[in-house]
Amino acid sequence: MTRRQIDIIYRTCWTLALLIVAIPFVFPFLWMVSAGFKSTTEIFGTPSLLPRVWRYENFIEVFTYQPFARQYFNSLYIAIAVTVLTLIISSLAGYALARMRFAGAGLLMLFLVSALMVPEEVTIIPNFFLIRSLGLIDTHWPLILLPTFGPHGVMATFLMRQYFLALPRELEDAGRMDGLSRIGIWWRIALPMSRPALAAVAIITFLFSWNLFLEPLIFLSSLEMFTLPLALSNFNDSYGLPLWNLQLAATTLAVLPILIVYLIAQRQITESFALSGVKG
Amino acid sequence: MADVVLKDIRKQFGATEIIRGVDLTVDEGEFAVFVGPSGCGKSTLLRMISGLEDVSSGELHIGGRRMNDVQAAKRGVGMVFQSYALYPHLNVRDNMGFGLKVRKVPVDERDRRVREAAATLKLDALLDRYPRQLSGGQRQRVAIGRAIVGSPDVFLFDEPLSNLDAELRVHMRSEIAALHNRLKTTMIYVTHDQIEAMTLADKIVVLRDGLVEQIGSPRDLYEKPNNVFVAQFIGSPRMNLLPAAEAKLISPTHALPASAVSVGVRPEHLRVVEPTTDSLSATVTLNEYTGAVTLMHVELPGGQTCLVVDDKRDMPPIGTRIGLTADKDNLHFFDADGRAVS
Repeated sequence: MTRRQIDIIYRTCWTLALLIVAIPFVFPFLWMVSAGFKSTTEIFGTPSLLPRVWRYENFIEVFTYQPFARQYFNSLYIAIAVTVLTLIISSLAGYALARMRFAGAGLLMLFLVSALMVPEEVTIIPNFFLIRSLGLIDTHWPLILLPTFGPHGVMATFLMRQYFLALPRELEDAGRMDGLSRIGIWWRIALPMSRPALAAVAIITFLFSWNLFLEPLIFLSSLEMFTLPLALSNFNDSYGLPLWNLQLAATTLAVLPILIVYLIAQRQITESFALSGVKG
Repeated sequence: MADVVLKDIRKQFGATEIIRGVDLTVDEGEFAVFVGPSGCGKSTLLRMISGLEDVSSGELHIGGRRMNDVQAAKRGVGMVFQSYALYPHLNVRDNMGFGLKVRKVPVDERDRRVREAAATLKLDALLDRYPRQLSGGQRQRVAIGRAIVGSPDVFLFDEPLSNLDAELRVHMRSEIAALHNRLKTTMIYVTHDQIEAMTLADKIVVLRDGLVEQIGSPRDLYEKPNNVFVAQFIGSPRMNLLPAAEAKLISPTHALPASAVSVGVRPEHLRVVEPTTDSLSATVTLNEYTGAVTLMHVELPGGQTCLVVDDKRDMPPIGTRIGLTADKDNLHFFDADGRAVS
């Protein structure tokens, strides 16, 4: 047997092994997409991967059952706003904590990191009273402000700080020699060099906001204001039982942005997982 | 071009004083080298001149202007860093032109100056490459180019060659010397390598523990060191230091200064002769053949070790008793405090 043949057999075996390992991860997704095209009766009938009758109208009904397009847009703009704000604030705060010498910097970092140890569920009631006193119930403000300035924002700040700590100081010195101010160094040197960390924070933040359920449940009451996770739990019949085919069709639509983000930024996502290991 | 004048410059980090009162003048167009062991404060001093570190006390003047409180970018100095400090996200052209862009120099003018500097440093073909695509020597040339395009009055080099291999270091050293000859700009260069200091400098500043030990030309420092530290720091291999009484044996005609307690003689100034009562007796313990010269380690009757550099290929074998002599002009005497006495 030649070396090339051994190589081919080796690769084939590996591919088969990986395919087998991938089944538990891929199968539920395929089942979800397939069930989105089925009737409720077929979902609970004889199991089959492909629908016997393709019900494309499920995907239309999703939009007529409740203001799904509006809810989709809500989730999208809230996730983008949270991501952009978190990137700005975490990179500024992370840079300051990593690079600026000021009294109590260490204590401040400790104080911030300690916030990560408080479960979000514990703070939801005080947050509710705070938001209510500000008159922001049934608005999107709490869904933007809480992730940005709450524990997730702290985690993003910590991640950025760790990355900035590793940037060579001589680059900042070179920036100062070139005439950059502190903010100029942040903008023109530190940020462009931190693309992997920024990508990690962006992806993690977007997914965090996209999947947020508890806060919308507490703070929102109008259908028009709902975000996707809340909307998905709202495809029920008059008895309050889930309309599985609509729910799964809607879920299929809901994962599309995540799939698109993943396809565009596969490399950054891989790096982001490597980077997010820093926080452990 | 500008001169650099330091008057009683001091630097404190908390309670620790790193620079303990330095007075120094680097004349216009001069190539000054700060040299000294690790932790002596040479890089801190350079950073104070550049504006990257504040001056705790004292006066710093560049081109006659007080610079203590002037921002780094407005001092008219260009700096080359040890690790090159090239921006990894910018190509060579943008790295070199970055400072001009920050200062809002028009694009045409910026391009012209980058092209000129690139031509001077033979970087024309590399302008579109990124730092990661360059060799160590090329990166160092880009770092120098970045300093050149700003047309500074003073160039500051912070151990620029220490990350290069030995061969490239020699090459870059000659390029920096050639650059100084061409630009005639004031240059201040920090190194711990005394060969770099000796070959490049018009003026060497030897520092130890935040103080200047001696300032002078390479020849002054080699031939007339002020103290034991400078005598042993300048010159490679380092100067042998023996009890003053041995001077009579090394050079019988020399009159011993009254306050001398030790005598220094450089390895290259010792001559191997037949052992007689008029020479310093020694036993060969090791020969190191390096090609051009041989380093001979010898042991004196008192147990001290001593090094001899000789250009002969056939040195006495290990265990041979030999005599050592030297010309009286090549002996250096030091008092109990290590200061040179004549």
